[in-house]
Amino acid sequence: MVARLGIPGFSATLARLFMIQAAWTYERMLGVGFGFAAEPMLRGLKRVGDGRAFREALARESGFFNAHPYLASLAVGAAARAETDRVAPEKIERLRSALVGPLGSLGDRLIWAGWLPACAAIGLLLVAFSAGAWAVVVFLGLYNLMHVWLRVWGLRAGWRSGVGVAGALASPGLRRALEAVAPVAAVAVGIALPSVMLWFPFHAGWEVGAGAAAALLFAAVVRLLQSRATGLVAAAAALTVVLALGVLWP
Amino acid sequence: MTAASVVAVVGVGTLAGLDLVSVPQAMLSRPLVAGFLGGVAGGRPLAGLAMGALLELFAFETLPVGAARYPDWGPAAAAAGALAALRGGGWDSAWMVGVMVVALLAAWLGGLTMHLARRLNGAQLRRRQRALDAGDPRALVAVQWGGLARDALRAAALTGLTFAVGQRVAHAVEIGWRAPRPLADIAVVGTALGVAVWSAVRLFGVGAPRRWLGVGALAGLAVLAVAMRW
Repeated sequence: MVARLGIPGFSATLARLFMIQAAWTYERMLGVGFGFAAEPMLRGLKRVGDGRAFREALARESGFFNAHPYLASLAVGAAARAETDRVAPEKIERLRSALVGPLGSLGDRLIWAGWLPACAAIGLLLVAFSAGAWAVVVFLGLYNLMHVWLRVWGLRAGWRSGVGVAGALASPGLRRALEAVAPVAAVAVGIALPSVMLWFPFHAGWEVGAGAAAALLFAAVVRLLQSRATGLVAAAAALTVVLALGVLWP
Repeated sequence: MTAASVVAVVGVGTLAGLDLVSVPQAMLSRPLVAGFLGGVAGGRPLAGLAMGALLELFAFETLPVGAARYPDWGPAAAAAGALAALRGGGWDSAWMVGVMVVALLAAWLGGLTMHLARRLNGAQLRRRQRALDAGDPRALVAVQWGGLARDALRAAALTGLTFAVGQRVAHAVEIGWRAPRPLADIAVVGTALGVAVWSAVRLFGVGAPRRWLGVGALAGLAVLAVAMRW
């Protein structure tokens, strides 16, 4: 694949991109992982200027960077290409800075607020219809189809485009995916949430209605508390009260 | 429960904990998957899956966005899934309330420990600052693997703690529960589905997606009605 695509260090960089956040820090955010991932693509620079060009490029690529982790591959490819083409350092710094906002926003909308809830909803639907282990297989398969494709596409498109990477972000496929993902996720989540009631082993018919009413009531409580507590904290508190009530019941 | 099954549970929890941020972010950390894997480690995959699916409803709220502090569901769900598998038998909501309280607190604690691990990563970064600024690849590799090792230790400890505490709490609740069982049933459904409903409204309750959420919900209610009648 490396030879076919003509991208030096493609496979090693792609593998390292899967751990781009391992050394996440508040100072550089993804920066260290960015440099770690880009390093195999920069090795050609070791032959330039007694290795100085390589070290300077690596130091630059390990500086502050933040973006959605999957789409960071686009920035890694573009920056590595720019370094290899010996583009002026200030221009490379500007390229990295310019990509932070768009890649973060695009990834958040496409993946965290779209594709992930859609796949999770499909997984839950399958559990509700007693699909067993298939629910996990389908969830992981569907989700990672998009995940792995984004990493591979990003690295290739970034390398191909170099400093002109903004064009890759405007690709029609990406735009269409962005337009489609929210409605698809909303419908999937909408279908899944009532359907999961099927899977709860209620002991009596009236419990279904009571459970649904309790869920709507609790959703309203979480909404009221949203500035003070997350749903997780509210649920932990509510369940602790229920637990105490259940044990101390006269 | 054998030592091998404890090792398997901690191994699965570590894998799930690493997946959230460090490697490979393939959603092995989602409760649906981590619970199932915990169930596999405990010998009953489907019991783990049921627990994981329940916790997945809470996890709808979690968007792992950048510097935000968010819960780490992986180790908590893996441990809870393994507990469900090891307990065996059918669904018992009172027991479930005990495990859920521990799992929710563990997920919250996971977020806190991740913040601490990131601070420790920062300390290592500052120690290696000069070498990093000089473009030394060995320093880069050291910081990267240091971060990975800290995250693995964090996830392993969290899984072990959740498993040990969860087992005791759930057992005590199951034995000591005196209230009518429907109270536990309704509490489990109400909190899990309530958080999921609120998360769905927060995610899709504005603009065009709101209409699609409504369409989906109507379809879901129709599915529920038909399936219950059938």
